Amino acid sequence: MNLESLIYAKLDGEITPEQHSQLEDHLRNNWQARRLYLELADQHARLLQQPEVNTGRLKQTHVISRTVPWRKSALIASAAVVLLTAFVVWPRKVVDSEATSNGVAMISQTLNAEFAPTTIRGGDTIAPGKLTLKKGLAQIEFFSGATVLIEGETQIEIISAWEARCVSGRMRVHVPPAAKGFLMHAPNMKLEDLGTEFAMNVKGQDSTVHVFDGEVIAHSKANSPASLKMGMTLASASVSVAPQDFLPIRELQGLIRQHEQSRFEQWQTWSMQTRQDLRLIAYYPFKHWENDDWDRLVNNFAEPTLKSRTGGAVGAQWTQGRWPGKEALEFKRPGDRVRMNLDGTYDALTLACWIKVDSVDKKYNSLLLTDGYESGEPHWQIYEDGSLMFSIGYATAGEKRITMKNNQIYHSKPVFTADSLGRWHHLAVTYSNASGAVLQYFDGEEVGRDISSLHQPGRTIVFGPCELGNWGLPTQGHQFPIRTLNGAIDEFAIYNGVLDATEIQAIFEEGKPN
Amino acid sequence: MSPEPSPSTEQLVLLLTQHQEPLFRYIFSLVGSEADARDILQETSLSLYRTFDQYDASRPFLPWAYRFAYLKVQKHREKKTRSQLLFSEDVMDLLAQERERVEPELDQRLQLLDGCLSKLTAHDRELVTSRYAMRQSAEEMMKRFPISRRTLFRKLELLRQRLHECVTSQLQSDGLS
Repeated sequence: MNLESLIYAKLDGEITPEQHSQLEDHLRNNWQARRLYLELADQHARLLQQPEVNTGRLKQTHVISRTVPWRKSALIASAAVVLLTAFVVWPRKVVDSEATSNGVAMISQTLNAEFAPTTIRGGDTIAPGKLTLKKGLAQIEFFSGATVLIEGETQIEIISAWEARCVSGRMRVHVPPAAKGFLMHAPNMKLEDLGTEFAMNVKGQDSTVHVFDGEVIAHSKANSPASLKMGMTLASASVSVAPQDFLPIRELQGLIRQHEQSRFEQWQTWSMQTRQDLRLIAYYPFKHWENDDWDRLVNNFAEPTLKSRTGGAVGAQWTQGRWPGKEALEFKRPGDRVRMNLDGTYDALTLACWIKVDSVDKKYNSLLLTDGYESGEPHWQIYEDGSLMFSIGYATAGEKRITMKNNQIYHSKPVFTADSLGRWHHLAVTYSNASGAVLQYFDGEEVGRDISSLHQPGRTIVFGPCELGNWGLPTQGHQFPIRTLNGAIDEFAIYNGVLDATEIQAIFEEGKPN
Repeated sequence: MSPEPSPSTEQLVLLLTQHQEPLFRYIFSLVGSEADARDILQETSLSLYRTFDQYDASRPFLPWAYRFAYLKVQKHREKKTRSQLLFSEDVMDLLAQERERVEPELDQRLQLLDGCLSKLTAHDRELVTSRYAMRQSAEEMMKRFPISRRTLFRKLELLRQRLHECVTSQLQSDGLS
């Protein structure tokens, strides 16, 4: 029996003990199953109470007045139903359906690019439609293999992985053999690419094309198809085009390197200043000394430097961070982690980090967790639905441990979706034990704000032994849930105090990758 | 506790009337049976009445009430473990947690459900009415709509599935999700 049928059987009181434990397994292991159950249970409850139904607005012709509770007869019925349903395969939608995308191209590189709509950023997958570049440079890679470089004020209509239209502006197109046949439309012209590199310039209704390499077949309304070979230019009017008008791809790479270097330097300047912030409990910019032969120290740069707060990498490997030259640690295997020990008690905290999440593949995906989970210890994780989840609990007298009844859990809206995976993002959370408010931020924007109904002012915050990217330490011989982060971290700051929205926004601006 | 005067019974009655429906849905999602959910709702109302002097009127009522409801569901569970199929504690915990998280969306869904109900065919409406408004048994329904038990159950499932899908697609097209 599939999940939906199990849920209906439960709601109708028709479920057998065996099916009930099947249903429980689904609900235990899969949040999507829980959502579906909750949605259907809610719908069922509403229909039972539905004023529209009950007041007879959904009228039918006649009514049989004798009513027997559904659940009484259900017992007799259930055996027969189970037998029957076992043989019937009903068409229905699959709950865990495969993720889909209607993308046909992606923006692979950008330089000072500004798009319309403004929500488009480098790394985005693009669906068919018009794309306007207002300024800067952008490289679009079509899924067929063709690459288009657009420059300055340009509008391109992406039709499919094999077809695009240059509406206005300048672009340079590279078509590898695998994408032979790629079609580029322009006013009064259609270019069929036979594996080549060419440039075009469109102003109003006039188009010009210049072939750098290979061959292009130009179809136009007026003339029969013409073959354009290397060095040839075809202009529908007076618009000129010369090779030097177009930026070679090599130069773009150089400009991007330069831009990255200047971003890296800006961040370094900021980082030098920020480490003097007296609110810092610890600051890990993920820079390790070249003479550290063990390669395992994650240095704390908060000033004055407390050596005792140096972190130790376990398993996690050094990799490139936001820019070439910037280091990061990558967390992949179940054992990967950075261990720390942060002493002291605090009244407020801010956790802020730069992170690249490759996949949200576990129920809980660690950012910073204290060992175990005792009173006053913060846990910060990514929940399976992609939301940021901050929690802190206080066991009151008579309670041995943190349970659902005393655990304060705060979720942001989901932020890790297919679009945000695999790129660098800034995350932050603030918590004050006076107000009880928890605010969470994603790339400088507020994505969650809440006060738990369990909040009581004045209870202190402690860290003690804790970890980045994992949850430990398992006590000897015990099973432990795997919460390893799948991704990389290249900066982590822990503050004693609440940073306000302006400060968080500034951290994002100073450290954003491009 | 604060020195403010304790809120009156009148206030509680008002709050309960206002929130009875979501409270019922909360309990129902944890026990999955209408009769049990009604019993638990009554017990919950009673314990809310007994502890109402502790209610802080500046905070939302429902989260406060949910905590009592949750305890009552647990109590009910302990009483009935043998005779009936109830979720085990960890599953209930998970459901209760998840439910509080997605509550705004569930509420949105219900608003859209009314619209989806009005789009049903006359035949489906009759099914809804006899199953939900009149609480007819399967036997009664089989008599009314001359169909086999198997067909009846299938129709009911498909009907509820259609409603669920209708709500989901409206939610998406409204950009509310």
